Amino acid sequence: MLSSLIPKDNQTSLERVLSYLQGQNPQRIACFPLILNHAARVLGVPVGKCIQDAELFGKAHVAAYRRYGNDLITFLSTTSTLAEAMGQRMNFIEDDAPQLAEPLVKELDDLKKVKVPDFTRDGRMPVYLQATEYAVAEVGSEVCVSTVLAGPFTTAAALRGADVFVKDLYRNKEWVHELLEICCEAGLRFIDEILKRKSLPIIVEPIGSASLVSPRTFKEFVAPYLKRMSDHIHANGGGLPAVLHICGKTKPNWGPMLESEWDIWSLDGVDMGEAKEFAGHRVCLVGNVTPANLLTNTPEEIDAEAKAVCAKGMGSPCGFILGSGCEVPINTPGENLDALINAARKYGRFDL
Amino acid sequence: MARAREEILQDLADGVLNLDEELAVNTAHDAVEAGLDAYDAITNGLVRGMNRAGELYDEEEYFVPELLICSDAMYAALAVLEPHLKKDDSRVRQRCVIGVVEGDTHDIGKNLVKLMLDVGGFEIYDLGRNVPLADFVEKAKEVNADLICLSTLMTTTMNGMATVIEMLKEEGIRDRFKVLVGGGPISQAFADRIGADGYADNAASAVRVAKKVCNVAQAA
Repeated sequence: MLSSLIPKDNQTSLERVLSYLQGQNPQRIACFPLILNHAARVLGVPVGKCIQDAELFGKAHVAAYRRYGNDLITFLSTTSTLAEAMGQRMNFIEDDAPQLAEPLVKELDDLKKVKVPDFTRDGRMPVYLQATEYAVAEVGSEVCVSTVLAGPFTTAAALRGADVFVKDLYRNKEWVHELLEICCEAGLRFIDEILKRKSLPIIVEPIGSASLVSPRTFKEFVAPYLKRMSDHIHANGGGLPAVLHICGKTKPNWGPMLESEWDIWSLDGVDMGEAKEFAGHRVCLVGNVTPANLLTNTPEEIDAEAKAVCAKGMGSPCGFILGSGCEVPINTPGENLDALINAARKYGRFDL
Repeated sequence: MARAREEILQDLADGVLNLDEELAVNTAHDAVEAGLDAYDAITNGLVRGMNRAGELYDEEEYFVPELLICSDAMYAALAVLEPHLKKDDSRVRQRCVIGVVEGDTHDIGKNLVKLMLDVGGFEIYDLGRNVPLADFVEKAKEVNADLICLSTLMTTTMNGMATVIEMLKEEGIRDRFKVLVGGGPISQAFADRIGADGYADNAASAVRVAKKVCNVAQAA
């Protein structure tokens, strides 16, 4: 569309996001497309190289922010990164996100191999943390920088292999809690490192999605540890909100998710209107344009989908942020991300 | 004393449905001891239980863990019964080649679909995960498959599904096979665009779609 038809922003990205925290309406809603590995495309380097090199990782996300004007920088390449730092091996791929190699915890007894990482050297912790430092120094005065880590349930599944782990939930309950305990401790220490660098920690818990496990499992194995993480962020974050992202379906778990006291929910496979009705009075909602559509649809179709999401999310009592349901696909055309962010400028206004 | 057929079948089904591997396996031994027809025990006991589990999964009463544990119980009991199958029990089954496309190693979804297709009466050729695209075509030709099922969770590998369909076209054998696609980023619109024969958004509906495209009579 003609750029003259897109309203101009009169706030910086950071001002916009801070409005939410102060309980005020921004000029227009913020937009959080979850730009993860796609950032490598903006810098023009292969994904595999970008996410293993702190300098490239940092520069790619700053470049993506400068290119698109997204309201949140999100450092994450895969939800297995914390597990990787705890000893899980990964297969690195030249131009894609790494994937899990053979599980570290093959036998129950292998639990003793699982350690809280040394954040100065283990896995790609230094890559994440140095890239975070770079972005905070470079653009932290104008945009919110976040560093993303998997919740305990997802980290445990990565260490054990998700297919075996989900059976452990029935067969080795006590053992699962021991494993989750270590994963939670590692996560809390990672949160400390992120906070030290003035970045916003965001927790993702995709294996806790209702696409995979039941509400009963969620209550027993996911929610209690998520609560400890949100408590930790509230106690140590200097007023920062606790932000939770869960991919896929989540509706059956909204009750226990509310009880685990997060301030912002980033949602994927849900109806944003239903989420607003259920939780809008307690949490700020982020979402949920279909990620695969960002890759395959036209900018006009993205605009229409984002408009429909905004129609459902706008007016949510604790705020609404337009976003992608999950990771922006690596090969998403730039004009589709522009269309998404422009939709926030067009359909998410409070100044008209 | 040998137990009654109905009671044995019920315990086989319940063992599977209620995640009770011990009950399923012990009852399978009872079935053998009672001289119950192994084919009867499998189809009217174990498979009935697994199909019910699949229904509960479809209704979001059961989730992935429950379905996987049910299947462990079923296969453990099946191992007891299979040696007792009569030769003429080998039914003609529709053949299905299944796998996760090249570049992707996420296979929980594929394994669930494989399980439900197996229970649904398909003969499965599982190529595993991260499967070179040409392998789907080669295997389908080799076993004279009826159905090719392609799975992926990743947006960077989904176009491999279109490539498989193109390969079939190039060899002039596209109409010999039905192609089903599924996985996180896949949609009916994507399936239509690449010319797949069907799409399903979960393992239970995958069986319905597979039977529909293969013209297999649906159970009531």
